[in-house]
Amino acid sequence: MARLLVQLKLRLLRNALLASTGARVAFVLSTTLAALVAGGVFYLLSILRGDGIAAADLTTVIFTIFGLAWLILPVIVFGLDSTLDPATLALYPLRTRQLAVGLLAASATGAWPAATLLGLLGVTIGLAHGALGVLIALLAVVLQVLFCITLARFVTTGMAGVLRSRRGKDLAALLIIPLFAVYEGFIQIVPKLAGEGALTAVSFGGVDHWLRWTPPGLAVHAIWDASSGHPGTALLRLALLAGIIFVLGLLWILSLRRALVTTDTSTQSAVRGSALPFARYGLRGTVAARFWLYQRREPYSLIYWGITAVIMAVVAIRAVLTPDWFGGLLASGVAGGAFVGAFHSNAIGWSGPGFGLEATSLNGRRALRAYFSGQNIALGAIAVPLVTAVCFGLAAVAKHPMDGFAAMAVGLAAIGAGLALANLFSVASAYPMEKRGGTPIPRAASGHNGAAAGSQLLTLLGVGVAVTPVILAVVLTRSDPAAIWLPVLVLGGAAYGLALAWAGVRGAANLAEQKLPELAQIAIKSAL
Amino acid sequence: MGEPAIAVTGLHKSFGPKEAVAGIDLEIAAGSLAGLVGPNGAGKTTSLSMMTGLLRPDGGRILINGLDMWSDPPAAKAIIGVVPAEARVFERLSGEELLEYAGRLRGMAAAEARSRAKQLLDVLDLTEDSRRLVADYSTGMRKKAMLGCALIHNPSVLFLDEPLEGVDPVSADVIRRLLSRFVGSGSTVLFSSHVMELVEQICDHVSIIDKGRIVATGTTDEVRGGKTLQQAFIDLVGSRANDEEVLSWLGSSSS
Repeated sequence: MARLLVQLKLRLLRNALLASTGARVAFVLSTTLAALVAGGVFYLLSILRGDGIAAADLTTVIFTIFGLAWLILPVIVFGLDSTLDPATLALYPLRTRQLAVGLLAASATGAWPAATLLGLLGVTIGLAHGALGVLIALLAVVLQVLFCITLARFVTTGMAGVLRSRRGKDLAALLIIPLFAVYEGFIQIVPKLAGEGALTAVSFGGVDHWLRWTPPGLAVHAIWDASSGHPGTALLRLALLAGIIFVLGLLWILSLRRALVTTDTSTQSAVRGSALPFARYGLRGTVAARFWLYQRREPYSLIYWGITAVIMAVVAIRAVLTPDWFGGLLASGVAGGAFVGAFHSNAIGWSGPGFGLEATSLNGRRALRAYFSGQNIALGAIAVPLVTAVCFGLAAVAKHPMDGFAAMAVGLAAIGAGLALANLFSVASAYPMEKRGGTPIPRAASGHNGAAAGSQLLTLLGVGVAVTPVILAVVLTRSDPAAIWLPVLVLGGAAYGLALAWAGVRGAANLAEQKLPELAQIAIKSAL
Repeated sequence: MGEPAIAVTGLHKSFGPKEAVAGIDLEIAAGSLAGLVGPNGAGKTTSLSMMTGLLRPDGGRILINGLDMWSDPPAAKAIIGVVPAEARVFERLSGEELLEYAGRLRGMAAAEARSRAKQLLDVLDLTEDSRRLVADYSTGMRKKAMLGCALIHNPSVLFLDEPLEGVDPVSADVIRRLLSRFVGSGSTVLFSSHVMELVEQICDHVSIIDKGRIVATGTTDEVRGGKTLQQAFIDLVGSRANDEEVLSWLGSSSS
């Protein structure tokens, strides 16, 4: 059974290579990234030689990060690896023990398990000293990898029912926001701190006090003990780690046994309130209500709003702590509006087959104007407070809270430009979306990646160009008394943004009127 | 006989080299419950999409109650209701919100749309689930919700693509009675289906489509010609059974 499931996993990996260009590129990128992570972690761990207990602290942190990654990532990519879901094998006459061994073997197959093993083996050069130290390090790394795999299996099997449900998938998808924030924070802040010498192995001193008794900590401290002449303690730690893995494995098997005979769960929760909000305000209000509800209930929408806020912060966070803080603030406002536009530049494709219902009802240019302006009202109702709040938050961090108004003025103009371009691209270069296994966010359907990249890039660039007059106005009037220029700038930015959004609505409605059946066909092809 | 509710002449549609609809002529009288049947890939959904203004034809004319669907789409669309084959509509709305949204898109007053939505959900046995998201509905429940969306503005002509696919027998009976009542008032229904027994049972008019062409059309009795509709259908489109030799091992009597 183990051999069969390993073959299944290899076949799935091979099929990913044969599927489509997009899938092939994703596979090659994932494998390359895994190789880079393996090489990078191996190097990092191997240079921690001679740093004493500080090296053990940092190694513990790295081992813990791998444990957390194995805990979280399989939840997000649940649908990607068919061998993770016991339901796919529940139909077959398999004994739990057979299945458990097979699933563990399948989990250990692939680029990322190999990357984990190879990367962590860096401790044999870094933390480990002497033959015994290296021997214990080899055992510790194998146990750490086994712990990661068993943990991932336990979590995904235990949550399989929930993860197959709509709400479970929603929650798993939302994990992307903190992961994106951590990733961006890591690549923006860590290199800066390391470059300034503010982040060294010693910085992690103390972390170890509470991490040393976690499974990754046990593995690392076993190596440290063996390398510092305490082989007995090292073996005890490894035995404790093996015991934890054994218990986790037993819990996993119990959970697997239950998952094989438990029916699929679906979410039964009801929505609050029965009436469609704003529906009394005509077609515009009705469409605004639909888009508003979608922004709240659709996890992809929440992810995009979260990512917009993170990008705004990331764009400015390094600058606001320097004398260039003002430029950082303005850039953040532009980025906010630009990404609001880019993320909604295929609204019809995102609407999916439901747009067929709208297309059979939207009669004429006037109705289409109401449709696009309703959409913009819903998006603006979130974008304006979000961009404003982030602008003022960053201005406060820069210790110039009043300059939040300047960033807000640019942000309001950028939101208007972003929505206008989003409306226009939603019609001019609409493309179907596709939800693929394992990716919580739908992507452009095969063959439409160029259109997707083009419309998003042009929206980002277009917003940059469109807000140039407002940026110039902000910069050129900066020496004027704040009480005069700030209110004028905010009102001017808002009026300019509204004018751009109005023009976008008209342009999009004119274009859409000519190609409504084609747009409906594109939307119907979306597999969301 | 008065003006037909649906009059299609010379309807054509190709996708690249494939001719999906190869010149359809069809007339459905007002007050008819008409079935459009055909094998997979025969052109049923493509034809219905063109008749409902969702797919631009390469050629041909479609009149709905005398209104040209492609010369004046807004006027023609205003009097039709559509249940597409694809059972996925705005899944993040509740059933009640979805029906109200459909009514408001059709220009109905908010209170009226809400009131009709409640009545339709009640008739379609969805009241208990009216506040659940459509994402959590079964296929049959989605079909019923979409039928509610199609009926909320009281259209003159209703187009349904595989309306009873995935619907349980009790709900199917509710839908059948609802459609019968709808046509009894003089409205017209055209629906596509694979289920010959169903078409034979409820339709007064049947058209059989194969390879993009109408190969038979008329009253149900005329089309079946004394046979069952299933047999008449197979005689017209041809049986594709070729598995006897290949699957000789299949069955308990074989080793």
